[in-house]
Amino acid sequence: MSRNLQLVWNGLIPENPIFRLALSMCPAVAVTTSVENGLMLGLAVVFVQVFSSVTVSIFKSFIHPRIRIPAYVIVIALWVTVIDMILPVISPDVYKKVELFVKLIVVFAIIISRLELFASKEPLVPSFFDGLGMGIGFLFGLCLIGAIREFSGTGQIFGYDILGFNPLLIMVLPAGGFFVIGFIMAIFNWIEYKITGKIPTSGGAH
Amino acid sequence: MKEILKIAASLTAVCIAASMILGFVYAKTEHARKANEERIEQETIQGLLGYGPGQKPPSDLRIYPVYRYVVTSEKGETSLGYVLPLKDKKVALAEIDLSGNPLRVVPIPAEMSALTDKATRDNAVNLVITKGSKSVYAQTIFVADLGDKRLGYVAPGVTQGFKTFIKLMVSLNPDFTVTGVAVTYSEEDPGLGAEIQKNFFRDQFVGKTQDMLKKLTVVKEPLPGDYAAVLDPAKAKKKGLTAEQIKEVKQKHLNDNIYALTGATISSRALTNGVINTVKKFVYRLEILSEATKKEQLSVAF
Repeated sequence: MSRNLQLVWNGLIPENPIFRLALSMCPAVAVTTSVENGLMLGLAVVFVQVFSSVTVSIFKSFIHPRIRIPAYVIVIALWVTVIDMILPVISPDVYKKVELFVKLIVVFAIIISRLELFASKEPLVPSFFDGLGMGIGFLFGLCLIGAIREFSGTGQIFGYDILGFNPLLIMVLPAGGFFVIGFIMAIFNWIEYKITGKIPTSGGAH
Repeated sequence: MKEILKIAASLTAVCIAASMILGFVYAKTEHARKANEERIEQETIQGLLGYGPGQKPPSDLRIYPVYRYVVTSEKGETSLGYVLPLKDKKVALAEIDLSGNPLRVVPIPAEMSALTDKATRDNAVNLVITKGSKSVYAQTIFVADLGDKRLGYVAPGVTQGFKTFIKLMVSLNPDFTVTGVAVTYSEEDPGLGAEIQKNFFRDQFVGKTQDMLKKLTVVKEPLPGDYAAVLDPAKAKKKGLTAEQIKEVKQKHLNDNIYALTGATISSRALTNGVINTVKKFVYRLEILSEATKKEQLSVAF
């Protein structure tokens, strides 16, 4: 596998931001009451992650190391504001649904951590693929949690009624988000244990 | 010392570059964004009046906006200024004091269509009010006519929601019975409070008369199955209900209170209070306005 593909795969499963790195847990619990919400926010995160990674990678030699964190925050805020202005022009209906979440991306831990750990050291192309992989991994996590919570909480998927009743209302409440993420994380760790035979060490939590 | 200058210069450069990009994007998108917002508002109003997506409004449907300003005179006396469309396409500012007596009427030398832009309108109003007084824009109500007949009104309102305020619009027929409720802005939790925007909740207000609204409360009971089925057009279609059956069930539940959303009682109460207050204020203001226009013998367009 080429390195670029490896980077994308890495973000999707082995270093999935939500289930493996345990970063940006607040939005993962807060907005995943339905698949649609997860998908919209996930797409916005992919956009911001890729553009921020690329920007920082290009201009890394200009950014003084002692002010790198404020500089990264400005870069992220820049791209978030750009989507916030362009999206209502391209698709007002979608914007109405994601308006609330888009502005929150500025403070997502996953984006700034990828800028610090990867984009500030690597050249343009790997940074692009790392950003893409992390974004897709986050998107995948949000959709998975959203699907489980929406189905078990309201009996629907993508707003289409499948069961016709609410099986477990607690799943759409915040507590349900913690349950679902906890279970998926356990499954990820169990798979790692089966493959490597080692008990996984805990990752950092933010 | 040298290093700190370097750091400051570097950070300044980042900020300037970012602000330049933002300024460029803003300039490019501002016009389209405003046009979209206006279009959405128009669509919401038409939808509330019964001409939703897929239904073309009839050609003789006229929607007249009426802008309300709060005018404070030099002495600190407050009065209300209504920007009214008149017959023969003229526009006038009617000032009414707080007890409902008309103070004066001054013509505004502009066309109504030019006044949809807020900045232009504010300027036009400021030019005609007496010197030294100040005007602040309050809200816009819409009067809809179908040919010569009054179709209804659309009144905007604001209410305190779970986190921040909820902006809503209520459409009324000429007898001030609610014909529709739309939520135009809210920050309620997705999946919980945000359900107030769904048909099955906001259509519970449809058909409530002024008297019913006075006694209306929110009850923490599950929405009855038959009522839920007719409130959601998709569900009613799935069950194969005819228009008559839908009408019958809605009639049966017409006197019911509002059924709270599960897990979002605060948001349910917020919207209910919002609708009640919006209608109450609107009816009160409209009465004063129509009295005043009668006294001043103004020939308003609607």
